[in-house]
Amino acid sequence: MNPDLIIPLLAAAVQSGTPVLFATLGEMFTEKSGVLNLGVEGMMLCGALAAFVASLYTGSPVLGLLAGGLAGALVGSLHGLVCLTFLGNQVVSGLALTILGTGLADALGTPLVGRIAPGFGPLALPLLADLPLLGPVLFRQDPLVYLSYLLVPAFWFFFARTRPGLRLIAAGEYPAAAAAAGLDPVALRWAGILGGGFLVGLGGAYLSLAYTHLWTSNLTAGRGWIAVALVIFAAWRPGRAVAGAWLFGGIMAFQLRLQAAGTTLPSSLLLMLPYATTVLVLVAAAMRRGAARGSDAPEALSVNIEPED
Amino acid sequence: MLMKRLALVLAAACLALTLAACGSGEKKAEEKKEAPAAAQAKQEAPAPAPAAESAMQVGFIYVSPIGDAGYSFAHDLGRKALAGMPGVTTSYVESVPEGADAERIIRNMAAKGFKVIFTTSYGYMDPTLKVAGEFPDTVFMHCSGYKTAPNMGAYFGRIYQARYLTGMVAGSMTKSNILGYVAAFPIPEVIRGINAFALGAQKVNPKAEVRVVWTKTWYDPATEKEAAKSLLDVGADVIAQHQDSPGPQEAAQEKGAYSVGYNSDMSAFAPKSHLTSAIWNWGVYYANVVEKVKAGTWKSSSDWWGMDKGIVDIAPFGPMVPKEVQDKVLAAKAELAAGKDTVFAGPVLDQKGETRAAAGQTIPDADLLGMTWFVKGVVGATE
Amino acid sequence: MFGLTAHKRTEPPGWGSVCIFPAALALALFLGLGLLALTGRPPLAVLGALLSGAFGSVRAVEETLLKTAPIFLCSLGVAATFRIKVWNIGAEGQYALGAVGGTAVALAFPGLPASVLLPLMFLGAALAGALWAAIPALLRQRLAVNEIITTLMLNYLGILFLDWLVYGPWKDPASHGFPMTALFAPGAVLPRIPGTRLHWGLPLCAALGLGLWFFLSRTRLGFELKASGEGRRTATYARMPYDALVLLVMGLCGALAGWAGLIETSAGLGRLQPTVMAGYGFTAIVVAWLARLRPLAIAMAAFLLAALRVGVENLMLDFSVPAAFGRILEGLILLCVLAGQFFTTFTLRRSKPLAPNPAPEPAPKPTGEAA
Repeated sequence: MNPDLIIPLLAAAVQSGTPVLFATLGEMFTEKSGVLNLGVEGMMLCGALAAFVASLYTGSPVLGLLAGGLAGALVGSLHGLVCLTFLGNQVVSGLALTILGTGLADALGTPLVGRIAPGFGPLALPLLADLPLLGPVLFRQDPLVYLSYLLVPAFWFFFARTRPGLRLIAAGEYPAAAAAAGLDPVALRWAGILGGGFLVGLGGAYLSLAYTHLWTSNLTAGRGWIAVALVIFAAWRPGRAVAGAWLFGGIMAFQLRLQAAGTTLPSSLLLMLPYATTVLVLVAAAMRRGAARGSDAPEALSVNIEPED
Repeated sequence: MLMKRLALVLAAACLALTLAACGSGEKKAEEKKEAPAAAQAKQEAPAPAPAAESAMQVGFIYVSPIGDAGYSFAHDLGRKALAGMPGVTTSYVESVPEGADAERIIRNMAAKGFKVIFTTSYGYMDPTLKVAGEFPDTVFMHCSGYKTAPNMGAYFGRIYQARYLTGMVAGSMTKSNILGYVAAFPIPEVIRGINAFALGAQKVNPKAEVRVVWTKTWYDPATEKEAAKSLLDVGADVIAQHQDSPGPQEAAQEKGAYSVGYNSDMSAFAPKSHLTSAIWNWGVYYANVVEKVKAGTWKSSSDWWGMDKGIVDIAPFGPMVPKEVQDKVLAAKAELAAGKDTVFAGPVLDQKGETRAAAGQTIPDADLLGMTWFVKGVVGATE
Repeated sequence: MFGLTAHKRTEPPGWGSVCIFPAALALALFLGLGLLALTGRPPLAVLGALLSGAFGSVRAVEETLLKTAPIFLCSLGVAATFRIKVWNIGAEGQYALGAVGGTAVALAFPGLPASVLLPLMFLGAALAGALWAAIPALLRQRLAVNEIITTLMLNYLGILFLDWLVYGPWKDPASHGFPMTALFAPGAVLPRIPGTRLHWGLPLCAALGLGLWFFLSRTRLGFELKASGEGRRTATYARMPYDALVLLVMGLCGALAGWAGLIETSAGLGRLQPTVMAGYGFTAIVVAWLARLRPLAIAMAAFLLAALRVGVENLMLDFSVPAAFGRILEGLILLCVLAGQFFTTFTLRRSKPLAPNPAPEPAPKPTGEAA
């Protein structure tokens, strides 16, 4: 492939990976507090719709972004209700949320098809945009991509160095010990769900406000599920989430560019690349690490906290 | 104790509710069926239908949601065009998967007394045929297929003629001579459209080449936009599409390139880049069929209408298209509208350079319907 | 909350628990119909249309039963894996591979009589599906790779593999370029039960369901499997390594989902095409959970969700309800049932009000003994 295509490909990788990155960080936030929420796809789609509607009717993409986040948190709160209050099984509740969320968004959004909402466009950062290689790839993107750059270190800092972050981790690792120490693990998990849901909603909002300025059913097209996978892929570390999201987005962009460059490989096989790569990288990482070390997941992930007697 | 009582009350309540619903529901369902039909008839025909006859029900089966902004959306516009017809009410079911589900839904429609049923996707062919055998008094119309029966007709539109014209526009406007085509699935109608587009472009610009990217989805705006960007990155300066969402149009406008839309006029999405679109006008055909059925003169046939009947068209030109180009294209359109279809007139070579139609020949309809090869000048895989 | 605290039941719930499922169902329907009512569609009439669409005539019931079969098979498989806490969400992909495996046999031996060809097709489907499920199982056991992610990715890969086959090497030259295989030879089509529109896949489902029920409740190994939460004890009991148990159960799920795919391809379509995929793999997870992983309950829940899908089609026609409504109802039902299952394990009791003295108590203590 032509070297001239590398820089546009890398830039496309960053942009294509951004909605997934938001969703991955959101799900990671929730999982760190001990709750597994497989409803990401539904939350993302609802976030996309809410953001689109808000931006369409208020004319402000920023309000749209906020609305998207809030919608994600709101839909996520259903999961909280079922799992934290009613102690439902987290795996299945998340799945139900995906089914419900995508159904709601598709049903409510039909009249909005064919409209364009004001959104975010590319904004080249002065000075930074002129750096060689890094400039065109990283600094000629839209504002939400820049937000994601800030989000990753903030995420790390929150969990590594702040008290609220450490409390959330406690709720995810040893809720019983946390309770004994005077914390309220259920409240912490609520925070995890709502905060994570907000970020997931932002990911959805990115699709309808920045990546495109449109709404149709199936706007997320499975990206929520990729985010769930990437949290595991990233071993619950934000830095690796970036790598995973950009890798996935990059491979998707790559196979499209392969076609544009004139390959005669069947498109079904090319489309397999992102998913196959995810599995292969996981397997490679596992082989290097050795099975003995086990999982990096929070100890109490998906284990409900039962009320004491 | 409290819990047990609560549970008892709830159980009794839902039992009662279910019984009540079943009982009155059946009756209400009957009433309600008349009510929306009557209400619709009232809305659509201020002068109610003559004495004894109740409104004729016309049904539509769509393969995707009408919210797809594209294919089913265009068919639904055609359905809405029947609104002005006296004595006719319309109904539709969307997102019907091809296969066993389709058969059930078509049969359901026929059993409810629909007089004309349009099934708008290739995969409905066998189910439609089956149900047609069971309901000899109902007229079934299947889109984009080839099987017929005494009470089942096949129909399609020669959108490739519109594509040919849009290709002429694209070929005239390109400076890089690379035209990008974002396409959904490698099926004959898509391939045929790409070929017609390429032939039209080459007619005005022999150096033009068409590059194809398959997205394997009918409506996923984000992926379609990404596909368009990948074409723009390899140097395409006009983007065409066989997709339902306007994602590729957006991508073209953002890069300052031109674009050609599909299904309906997409200029609202990309006013700075939109040259024209290949559009459907199903209403014309649907009105024709329903009139014939009402008059009792309908006969089963395989209709493949073209620009001469008005079922396909191109959207108005964007302001950036120079007059000479417009005139040339309109002249070609006039020929098509007069019934002179030379889109696939020979010589036509395929990607490998073999001759598919010699000079003086033209590719017959049967071969067009099953087209699985690209013409010379198209770069890309056919699967 | 509201002055109530939850306490684990010390005795099994009484007959009250039987009400929970219908109560949850009623709540979900209430919410769903309520949503429709907000858009002007009369709820009772809608409910009536839903019910008559699924059960209103012999034909409707037959259609519902036909739809139950693939859901049921996938659910049986998924339930088996969930029982040993292997979170297999790959039933969609295993269904696809089963369809592919069965089709491969059908296309390779079109001349064979049905009595030979059909069993071979079932074998092919089972092997293909089991293989597809074995991959994440092996990765889980040997390399501790999380099965949620691998089964999910393999869903996409399985469906794309099917796509590649029908768009490429298996495309029927007589299909006018559309992605589908040639029509199956008569010997490869699962025959109908004479006098009905049902096919022999349904009695097969019944037999499998009964067999599994018998295994779980009447054999020692099955009892162990049902009782032990995670499977390691079962493995010890069965004197097989835990790894082998996981592989076996995943393979079983793959085979069952594969048979679902084969049945839909052979009896439903008569050829392989991409539209054989209908999301049954995901509905199966919903069903398996609603039924608390028990075979007979799975049959009922599968029937219920099939009825929902069939009934919703009636709604689309009569009330212009959007196609997505079925998903809304499905999601609501599951969430309500999940919430409701809380009451089978816990009971709510009024908590003692805080004492007036200012020294704070961490939590109010329950007043009496077991209710």
